[in-house]
Amino acid sequence: MPIITENITREKKTETDFQSPEVWTKVTGKAVYGNDFKLPGMLYGKILRSPHPHARIKKINLGSVEAMPGVYASLTGAELPERPYGIVFDDELPLAAELVRYIGDEVAAVAAVDNETASKAVEAINVDYEMLPAVFSPREALKPDAPQLHEKFKDNLAWERNLLRGDSDKAFREADVIVENTFTIPSVHSTYLEPTVCVAADDPYNGLIIHTAVQSPDAVRVIIAKALELPLSKVRIVGPVMGGGFGGRVYGNLKLYMIASLLAIKTGRPVKMQLTREEEFLVGRPMIAAEMHLKMGFKNDGTILAREADIVTDNGAYSAQAPWVSKTLSERNDSVYHIPNIKTRVRLAYTNKVPTGQYRAYGNQAANFATESLLDMGAVKLGIDPLKLRLKNCVKTGDTTVHGLKIKSCALAECLKAAAEEIGWYDRKKGYGYGISAAIHASGSLVFDKNFRGAAALARLELDGRISIFSGEQDYGQGAHATFTLIASRVLGISPEMITVYSRDTLSSPHSIGALGNRQTTIGGKAVQMAAKRLRELIVLTAADMLEDPVVMEKGTLRSASDRIVELPLVAYHYHSLTCGLSLIGEGRYVPEPSEYDETGYGNIAVTYSFAAHGAVVEVDKTTGAITVHKIVAAHDSGKIINQISAIGQVFGGTTQGLGMSCYEGYLFNKGEVANASLADYRIPTSLDVPDITPIFIENEDPEGPYGAKGLGEIVQIPVLGAVANAVADAAGVRVTDLPITAEKVYQALSGWECE
Amino acid sequence: MKKEIIKFILNGEQVEVYVDPAKSLLHLLRNDFGLTGSKEGCGQGECGACTVLLDDLAVNSCLIPAGKVSGCSVVTIEALSRDGKPDFVQESFVEKGAVQCGFCSPGMIMSAHALLKQNPRPDAMEVRTAISGNLCRCTGYKQIEEAILLSAEKLNK
Ligand code: FES
Ligand code: FES
Repeated sequence: MPIITENITREKKTETDFQSPEVWTKVTGKAVYGNDFKLPGMLYGKILRSPHPHARIKKINLGSVEAMPGVYASLTGAELPERPYGIVFDDELPLAAELVRYIGDEVAAVAAVDNETASKAVEAINVDYEMLPAVFSPREALKPDAPQLHEKFKDNLAWERNLLRGDSDKAFREADVIVENTFTIPSVHSTYLEPTVCVAADDPYNGLIIHTAVQSPDAVRVIIAKALELPLSKVRIVGPVMGGGFGGRVYGNLKLYMIASLLAIKTGRPVKMQLTREEEFLVGRPMIAAEMHLKMGFKNDGTILAREADIVTDNGAYSAQAPWVSKTLSERNDSVYHIPNIKTRVRLAYTNKVPTGQYRAYGNQAANFATESLLDMGAVKLGIDPLKLRLKNCVKTGDTTVHGLKIKSCALAECLKAAAEEIGWYDRKKGYGYGISAAIHASGSLVFDKNFRGAAALARLELDGRISIFSGEQDYGQGAHATFTLIASRVLGISPEMITVYSRDTLSSPHSIGALGNRQTTIGGKAVQMAAKRLRELIVLTAADMLEDPVVMEKGTLRSASDRIVELPLVAYHYHSLTCGLSLIGEGRYVPEPSEYDETGYGNIAVTYSFAAHGAVVEVDKTTGAITVHKIVAAHDSGKIINQISAIGQVFGGTTQGLGMSCYEGYLFNKGEVANASLADYRIPTSLDVPDITPIFIENEDPEGPYGAKGLGEIVQIPVLGAVANAVADAAGVRVTDLPITAEKVYQALSGWECE
Repeated sequence: MKKEIIKFILNGEQVEVYVDPAKSLLHLLRNDFGLTGSKEGCGQGECGACTVLLDDLAVNSCLIPAGKVSGCSVVTIEALSRDGKPDFVQESFVEKGAVQCGFCSPGMIMSAHALLKQNPRPDAMEVRTAISGNLCRCTGYKQIEEAILLSAEKLNK
């Protein structure tokens, strides 16, 4: 059962439970998701994908595809201007022009009356390829004689960073104890349950409208307008309900959107395109894989002196956000503890495999596995209790970390103690393994766009007295809109039932960077708070004008000094007739302090930071290696919890995803081909795999976040990995350094038997 | 592809449709009857998002050929709410916060109904087993399990 702590006294509160009324459409099957959406005359599109990891397209033979009954159009890269686009680098084309770089690369597309006809048509297309040598291992790819993927990126090096803080060489010379190891993390897919789908429609009046559920519609719109050379105001994204995102759908599937748009423009008909589950695994932008060689030096008393890292991340064939994810992966974890000396080299390599993207905690969860495993190895060598080692070194309120992060509120030590206590750390039972792990995560990241750090929102008083909130921040099931509703309800002093949040149309919502970097609560929520505040002022002013007397607003009612009362609809009407049709609109913006970081990246990169510590209890069968995870305790400092029911849901869900990454999930490749591209083979946790999960919230008020709240949705996934890895190592007496930690790997480690 | 007339009971009403019997029940429901409450998460019997009741048993409708439902009774999520009022299982899902993105919810709720029909007093383990074929990526299943146990409580009141 969840434990809610208010300044660490434990009490449960329920007054903050609120769910968006949209939930009723979901349980009754009425909610319209992308694939439920239809337009008159709509066609269906399918994509022909490369069967080869690396090849040159010699000829695409369309034959009589366009003459097939039911086929309306075909499309190849040859028809399109060669105008590369991308998120960090412009390294992709909507359809391959000359080269295909992975199995799944988009080669041609067809629009037809139905999916079956489109699939048949696509199969009838004949492509002549000239095979090229391919490279699958990122370390191999970085060698000078490796096959080259992109002309612009020599030695397949997409991005590199060398980072030095303090003097780590000196610190390692002075260290009493040094531990080092290599950790590997495979690519993992967000595996949202709804496969990505869009309907693109184009006409001269409305321009291009793409109906799709994506976490950052505004960013997607800008990329698409630029890549397809369309006026920005003629590209609009309208979102149906989203069946999960988890960071895997920050940009959705740009190629799918562009191809559907091009087919819609070509045919003059709306075109629906949906990825199959297999295609999701082939082209759905899983998180980068990483190989991390880490080294840590300590003083005998457990003080951490230095950390060195040599990290290679696997980009796959195209880059998307991989450089950003690699950056977070390589450094965010350094700020959990005081580590005065840091030396990091991280290289992102192109390979002929599935292009990557990100997943929930942006690489921080992968780093947690490596760092927290190494920390426990240090604890063993030092002969110090792992909890004590963490408590000795962890950051606290008022600290500035090694990379310049300013910690304005931090209950990490309390989280560690609470998690440890709850798993029975001080009274460990024989036959079980115990592990703990700690995490920091940006709450309201400021680095995605230096010139666009904040967010805006509008709060409009409707004529019936209800309030409409327009925000660019998407709700894809994580409860952002319920949180916004509660924030606005608190500011306005009216019931949440009177408030509706709208976000799904780029035409009416303020521009937003989107749902990434845990921006939603901290930045988006704050903008809603400001908008509601402004609306409240306007309402009071208007009512005072009506009553010709100063008024106060209480519980949605306005009362004058002479005790006259006026309700919200009347205020709305008053303004409406005064202005001949305008509504009272509170504009809110939240512009955080600029994050000032130097060319080495030193500086404060987020509005504030969330903290967490998880503890795990497991059992390992030493004869088979089988792992049973009994309990995970998730102690969180996400500031004040605004919406308890959804916070608890985030902890259960995010922890389960963390467990999936720890023990089950990971891409398997066979010469560049995904060997587990189905839900049967890429196993995510089922109801039978989930242990007892206990959420604990240490509710310290954050000075920045709205009502003292900080982000929670991403950090929940992070500490699971370290906690489970450490618990398994504790139980088995051997350590698996390669995710996922499976029975087979534990067994191999136990029997000292090495295998590939 | 040759079409056939298939007669079955859909959400309590006798229906008749002229269709390729190899077409999946899921596509029949979604495309021919416009019942889009049943979701397609994989189309391969691996996620449970398409779960409907076939003669009171929970089945993955994406795996059932339309021809197989001839003479059977099929119940989908759309039939549960009466006069716009959600039923006790749907209500319990909302009460317990068991719905995040909601994509798994219709399938989960149908599996819950199938379970409660066979076993009106399930324990937590029986609930977990009953929904083990229904994947949910958002919730970690805990609140879903609580919602189904609450539904059982309501049923037995
Ligand atoms: S769609 Fe039927 S089981 Fe996934
Ligand atoms: S609520 Fe999203 S998959 Fe279950």
